[in-house]
Amino acid sequence: MSDFLKIKGLKASIEGNQILKGIDLEINPGEVHAIMGPNGSGKSTLSSVLAGREEYVVDGGEVSFLGHDLLDLAPEERAREGLFLAFQYPVEIPGVSNINFLKAAINAKRKHQGLEDISAKDFMMMVKEKQALVELKQSLANRSVNEGFSGGEKKRNEIFQMAMLEPKLGILDETDSGLDIDALQIVANGVNKLKREDNAFIVITHYQRLLNYVVPDFVHVLYNGRIVKSGDKSLALELESKGYDWIINELEPA
Amino acid sequence: MSKQDFLSQFDQIAAILPLQGKARAIIHNGLDFPTIRDEYWKYTRTASITYGIFKQNNPAIESLDGYLIPALDAHLVVFVNGEYSKELSNSNLPQGIKVVALSEASASDKDAMCEHLGLHINSENQAFNTLNTSYFKDVAFVKVEDNVEVTKPIHVLSICAGDNQAVNMRNLVVLGANSKANVITQFEGEGNTDSFTNVVSEVVVGDGAKGGLYIIQNEGETTSHINSTQVSQSNSSQFSVITVTKSGKLVRNNLNYSVNGEGCESNMYGVYFTRDNQHVDNHTYVDHLQPNCNSNELYKGVMNDKSTGVFNGKIMVQREAQKTNAFQSNQNILLSDTASIFTKPELEIYADDVKCSHGCTVGQLDEEATFYLQSRGLSKDDATKLLIQAFASDVMEKVEIEALRDSLETFIHNQFAV
Repeated sequence: MSDFLKIKGLKASIEGNQILKGIDLEINPGEVHAIMGPNGSGKSTLSSVLAGREEYVVDGGEVSFLGHDLLDLAPEERAREGLFLAFQYPVEIPGVSNINFLKAAINAKRKHQGLEDISAKDFMMMVKEKQALVELKQSLANRSVNEGFSGGEKKRNEIFQMAMLEPKLGILDETDSGLDIDALQIVANGVNKLKREDNAFIVITHYQRLLNYVVPDFVHVLYNGRIVKSGDKSLALELESKGYDWIINELEPA
Repeated sequence: MSKQDFLSQFDQIAAILPLQGKARAIIHNGLDFPTIRDEYWKYTRTASITYGIFKQNNPAIESLDGYLIPALDAHLVVFVNGEYSKELSNSNLPQGIKVVALSEASASDKDAMCEHLGLHINSENQAFNTLNTSYFKDVAFVKVEDNVEVTKPIHVLSICAGDNQAVNMRNLVVLGANSKANVITQFEGEGNTDSFTNVVSEVVVGDGAKGGLYIIQNEGETTSHINSTQVSQSNSSQFSVITVTKSGKLVRNNLNYSVNGEGCESNMYGVYFTRDNQHVDNHTYVDHLQPNCNSNELYKGVMNDKSTGVFNGKIMVQREAQKTNAFQSNQNILLSDTASIFTKPELEIYADDVKCSHGCTVGQLDEEATFYLQSRGLSKDDATKLLIQAFASDVMEKVEIEALRDSLETFIHNQFAV
């Protein structure tokens, strides 16, 4: 059994509506998993539950992450253990500087690992290096978190933060939505450069196009709160040409 | 307790200036303390003050440890219970600046003081102002000569020491034409259970002068504080008042501007952080009397527990005051279900070519932003602190004195724990 990420029978609801109806998924280090599915299938709920959003109630199942009962951890503990969620809609936080907040986040993680605060010099070097990785303008890194950023800049900032925090598991929640092709490539390149043997990514997307750039090892189709089909990257191409209906029809013959 | 009983507690204070005798006659006769039946005091009940039993002591303060603002390089004058303390003060003043106490003033300084003292503030029908004028024991007088720029801030530290003290602290700031100065009035308390500080500050801003007054309120948790500030501005002057309420049981600030000159800029900024059963009330009034002036106002509050905030801001644009630009905003965050804010922005405009806006907001801490910060590894506590700091940041960035701003940032950071 993998001790990286294992989701077993996960059920979750919001405001009394059950959205996830039993998710089973196992992810190993070095893997990229794509989760696709029509609107309302539960994709974003899955990422929210994994990241620890309070509005979602877990009704059943378990999630283990690096030996921890993930569902038992506060959102910040999950982050410090190496989980990162790139938001579908990154929040604008006027008055909080991107850089100061990232430094606080990195130091929170380091403290958790029993390390000293990062030195100002190392931090600035890291900022410079990771900015280049996602081609984020320096002026943006110094501004308030996401304030006045364009849609593409916000998504790039998510990847920049991910690069800075070096998570074990990165979850990209529809990071491709609202991006033009150039921004999409930059985001995808960022992810590809961060990919290592000891980390993994879950790429949640509605469309196949991101998967042209971030090539998944596994593709899962989420429908009505369950993973109804899994395959390799060819499944994504098949979905692109045939849509989701053929899978739904297989499940619910007329 | 009758008004006479309350006033009798001040009777042994000697009148040092003629205007005090006049004020005493007013307050002993017709003028009453406000009640919540007065519109202007609707949400702020002052009975705990006007029924209070107070003493008039002047204990010695051994040291200023814990009161001084770290790294602040300023001309320091210290008043303890409204009286000047020569031993604790430390001002080595350059040419052109005077920071003197009435009790130490030369005849000519006294004359300079009396040119303005009591002539700007309303002591006729604002009872707490009249109380102050009647019974102040000393005056902190700051005078900057024409064309003089004071580089270091002038720091008037007022300490209320002892239990059940009633202190009438009086400030007078006179900025000469084209001068430049910042004055910090800081209020601290030492072991002062159930005390009362009543402050009146008159600020006279000459032609083309630029300056700021900082009001930092940090007295004991059971101390009440009423602070009335009157700013009178002449042509082309710029003046800012920044009020930061850190502590106090009942705090009421009355900030009035008379913009008597053309081409002036008047700024009013404030932050208040309340908890437990605290009550903090900010009333501001800016009277635009002349054309081509700008006023900006931003007050921000964060209220927790069962505390109450009040904001009432009034912009008056008189008929002569064409081309006035006046902006006012009050924004509040309630951290608990039991905290309240009464907020009332007001505009009264008699000129027909002006640009004015006002507004207020009341909300909670943004849960989505809190989660966002948590999802990056910050604890909920740290996320809350960061968001409150961010909320206050647009007022904090108006604090031009770096050491003061740093100390306020630290205060905000330490203030909020979930």
